[in-house]
Amino acid sequence: MSEIQFKRYLLVSHTPNLLKGAKSFAVCQVPFREFRGNLYGILAFLLLSLTLVLSGCGGKVNPDAVLKEKPNLFPDYVDVTIPATIAPLNFKVQEEYTAINAVFEGKNNQVIHVQDSKEICIPAGDWGKMLETTKGDSLKVTVSVKQHDRWKQFAPFRLHVSETPIDYGLVYRLIAPGYEVYSKMGIYQRNLSNFDQSPIVENTLVPGSCVNCHSFRQSDPKNMSLHIRGQKGGTILLADGKMNVLNTKTDKTISNFVYPFWHPSGNYIAYSVNNTHQVFHEEKGSRVEVGDAASDIVVYDIKNNQAISCNLLMQDSIFETFPSFSADGRTLYFCRATHKKMPAEYKEVKYNLCSIAFNPENGTFGDRIDTLFNATAQSKSVTFPRPSPDGKYIMFTLADYGNFSIWHKEADLYLLDLKTGQTRRLDEVNSDNTESYHSWSSNSRWFVFSSRRMDGLYTRPFIAYLDENGKARKPFLLPQPDTEFYDRLLYSFNIPEFVSGKVEVDPNIIEKLVSGEKRVQVESLKLQ
Amino acid sequence: MKYFSLDKLLSLAFGLVVFWFFAFLYPFHLNYQEQYQMFLFSSDYFLNFFAKPGGISDYIGNFFTQFYFYSWVGALILAVLLVVLQRAVWFISRQLGAKPVFVPITFIPSLLYWSLFCDENYLLGGLIVMLIVSGFISAFLLIKPVNIRMGFVFVSIPVLFWMAGGAFVLLPLFAVVFEVVNRNLKVVHLSIFALVSTVFSYVIPTLCKSLFLQYPLRQVWIGANYFRFPVNVPVSVGIVALLLVVIPFALYYFSKIIKRDNSKILLVGQLIVLVFGASFLITHSVDMGKEEVMAYDFNCRMRKWDRVIAMAEKKAPTTPLSVTCLNLALAKEDLLGERMFSYFQNGIGGLMPDFVRDYTIPMIAGEVYYHLGFVNTAQRFAFEAMEALPDYQKSSRAVMRLAETNIINGNYEVAGKYLRLLQKTFYYKGWATKALATMKDEKLIAQHPEWGWLRKCRTQEDFLFSEGEKDMMLGVLFRQNPENRMAFEYLMAYTLLNKDLKHFLQYFPLSESLKYRAIPKSYQEALYYAWTQTNNDPTKDIPYPISNVIKQRFQAFQKMPGQPNSGSGKNEFSDTYWYYLYFVK
Repeated sequence: MSEIQFKRYLLVSHTPNLLKGAKSFAVCQVPFREFRGNLYGILAFLLLSLTLVLSGCGGKVNPDAVLKEKPNLFPDYVDVTIPATIAPLNFKVQEEYTAINAVFEGKNNQVIHVQDSKEICIPAGDWGKMLETTKGDSLKVTVSVKQHDRWKQFAPFRLHVSETPIDYGLVYRLIAPGYEVYSKMGIYQRNLSNFDQSPIVENTLVPGSCVNCHSFRQSDPKNMSLHIRGQKGGTILLADGKMNVLNTKTDKTISNFVYPFWHPSGNYIAYSVNNTHQVFHEEKGSRVEVGDAASDIVVYDIKNNQAISCNLLMQDSIFETFPSFSADGRTLYFCRATHKKMPAEYKEVKYNLCSIAFNPENGTFGDRIDTLFNATAQSKSVTFPRPSPDGKYIMFTLADYGNFSIWHKEADLYLLDLKTGQTRRLDEVNSDNTESYHSWSSNSRWFVFSSRRMDGLYTRPFIAYLDENGKARKPFLLPQPDTEFYDRLLYSFNIPEFVSGKVEVDPNIIEKLVSGEKRVQVESLKLQ
Repeated sequence: MKYFSLDKLLSLAFGLVVFWFFAFLYPFHLNYQEQYQMFLFSSDYFLNFFAKPGGISDYIGNFFTQFYFYSWVGALILAVLLVVLQRAVWFISRQLGAKPVFVPITFIPSLLYWSLFCDENYLLGGLIVMLIVSGFISAFLLIKPVNIRMGFVFVSIPVLFWMAGGAFVLLPLFAVVFEVVNRNLKVVHLSIFALVSTVFSYVIPTLCKSLFLQYPLRQVWIGANYFRFPVNVPVSVGIVALLLVVIPFALYYFSKIIKRDNSKILLVGQLIVLVFGASFLITHSVDMGKEEVMAYDFNCRMRKWDRVIAMAEKKAPTTPLSVTCLNLALAKEDLLGERMFSYFQNGIGGLMPDFVRDYTIPMIAGEVYYHLGFVNTAQRFAFEAMEALPDYQKSSRAVMRLAETNIINGNYEVAGKYLRLLQKTFYYKGWATKALATMKDEKLIAQHPEWGWLRKCRTQEDFLFSEGEKDMMLGVLFRQNPENRMAFEYLMAYTLLNKDLKHFLQYFPLSESLKYRAIPKSYQEALYYAWTQTNNDPTKDIPYPISNVIKQRFQAFQKMPGQPNSGSGKNEFSDTYWYYLYFVK
């Protein structure tokens, strides 16, 4: 590993001697300075310099051929819009080659030049400085590859650096995309400005458990809810720094709390309660079908430790699920389908996007349900309605049927403009494969969504920018330290959620709380 | 004979016996172990282990376990490692001044570990822990200046904890006892040394746990995966570990009190006890029933169908899983309809076992679904078996199956992902590279003897897997490809084993597309039986070509005493469907 790093730094730092443009030196000197005082570094530098000179590679590329086509990159970062604080977008060209060269040109004649035999790994410090100074503008990236001792240069592409900031990081669950059995998994947080990932809680902490459904109050890392399933299960509730384990099964609800969504005030969390089953397809294009035999919606009143609901949200003839609150907290959105016999009629289950008024002052509901998007009329089904924090949009997933869109290849993201009532498919970001869970940044201008476009099975997080007109830009894959990261990883990124800061949770406290007997029993349902 | 050569001779003999045992008597336990890990030659894989106390031992253990693919190589590895452990105990004992006459006692830890390895859930990483700890104790003994020796212990505690997990306590324990015995330190210094060692031993694991390890403290303390179920406390291993300290000091004291003239008798006595003790221990540790199931499964995994049938010829299988393997082998050799009742049958559970949330049954049952053409189910069973592994390992066998099923289903991206992982293994690299090349050409897949055929067999019609309706599923599968003889024979076998003659008769005409030269024996028996039950006039000709032998045997069967389990007809008719129908519950 260190050898590779040395080589990369060497190539970057070697550039000034070979490039004539003196203004690019500054960004290249940072790694070189790191070698000072480091004997091994210097020795490696000298050795590799000698190798470099002898092998005759590196430095400025004089292309033997210049193409009109842009490179076919992995990950595909060509012409994407990125936040200024994003970690380096390391990439490779999807062709065979013996060397790859990339020149990043930003504002004020800043240049980063990287050359390697395998992939482009951009020095983090230089990258950060370049993005910071190029905010609101774009980087020009020129990529060349060496094939049969000849350099081939692709047409340059742009990386648009948005002035709109993005949140601190993402929280997601890493879990193998399996069926009923689960192995090691955990909920992790990732700093978006670098590659740091750390566990919030792993299921190794409480052997035999499953951790799921993490949720934050509008990206606030101090207010979090997550479930731990298993013998010692419970719902972990972190509210303003105070942590409790809840027993959420009440005598009037069909299950423990399941899919959460925080009220913007922080006083309530809406949950679905679901009686969920899985069945398995035999046809090659499908694998798993997850459906509810029954489901309802409740709202958990945090201060009074009570589940509240109303008859309209708990009808036996209706499946209600995936609740979410509007930005002003006065409307509860959810998905609603006519009850069907499960699993026999699983393909007949189609959810509409509906809403009901909610009064946060006294925790009461309206007396009628409105349908915001009639998916049934199109013989489709809505899942995961997520209102943008600025109150302008609802983004949701649309599939052919059911409520577990991650196993539906046809599932796509849609955007409902709450002002005009118009809904459109987000063709800018959708693919031929599954797009499913999505989450808004706290300023409503970025969204992260899970997609199976890479291999059809392992879910990966993509981030996209939404401009002031509601038009999304080309999404980009969450950057990683090297381009083979995703290929090696046997986990899916599940429920990616933005967080505005680091989640400071001591796993030892979670372990102590969960392993102990003490549970805060949610008081029985108050039905209005 | 000089003692110094005797101890080496005994070590050699011990090694040879261990090798013989695992290579010839117990080889399939080693194959079983190998399939439940996937050692990758990659930095990620190493770092995964390195990030946890005891992980290095597990890593080394997995490195060796990958060679169990060939059981004789595994047997050799185990023999060598167990001998090394014995030699280490002997070396430590000798350093303490043990007399050569006591060499047989130094075999006890290795013997105990050998007996533990008769249980398929004891992992090699545990033995590596013992070797590492023995190495540190040996190094401690080689350091002469007492201060440096003490320093070595303090420095080694965190290192040893990280390498070997909780077994690190053996080093300070040994050191304290050693210094007490040798009176090298003043009481005050010794007390300080013991106190600091204890504090170190407590603080380091606790600190690691609270700072960055998301495991229960008990698991952090235990460290390495001695046992496949990490939540279990490996008491047996603890005893072996303690013996690493106890035996050298015990021998030191024995050597002090033993008189020279008794040494030969003592040696012979020890050897006799050792041999008899070892025989008792190993014979009570082995589980030949499991070994048999593992043998059936391994041969199925390797597609050695003739070996499976030969095994059954030699000794009829009796466990549900070995019957499952046998039925699969019979079907693959087109013999299921002909010979299935020649062997013990335990109902439909021995034909297509239900899914169970563990790592063994789905792996074996998945073979049946795979070869039938239930590609998605085979994929699910492989995935679930791998996920069910309690030590969070990945399984090379399961990953291979995932690659295969994804290739058959045309999911090349995800198949490629699995194959690239397998390319980082030692044994599967070649296969994976070849599969990656095959995957690039649809023609090559179509021509592949297994994948091409299964592609033709897999269902195009979507339906949901149902444990209770396997006959329906088999029917849909056969309708998809009327040349899928195995699907037909499993469908027939399902009805016969279920004693469901109504559906047997209903489905039997489907055999037309398979163009049997003669109706398989068990079908003839069922047809003839059904005919005799539904026709009052026995002289009326049955509309199926039933052999006279079967007709005559049935008449004889009808005359035999009708008491189930009377034994009177067992030998003569136990290979018939009628016997199964009447007497097997």
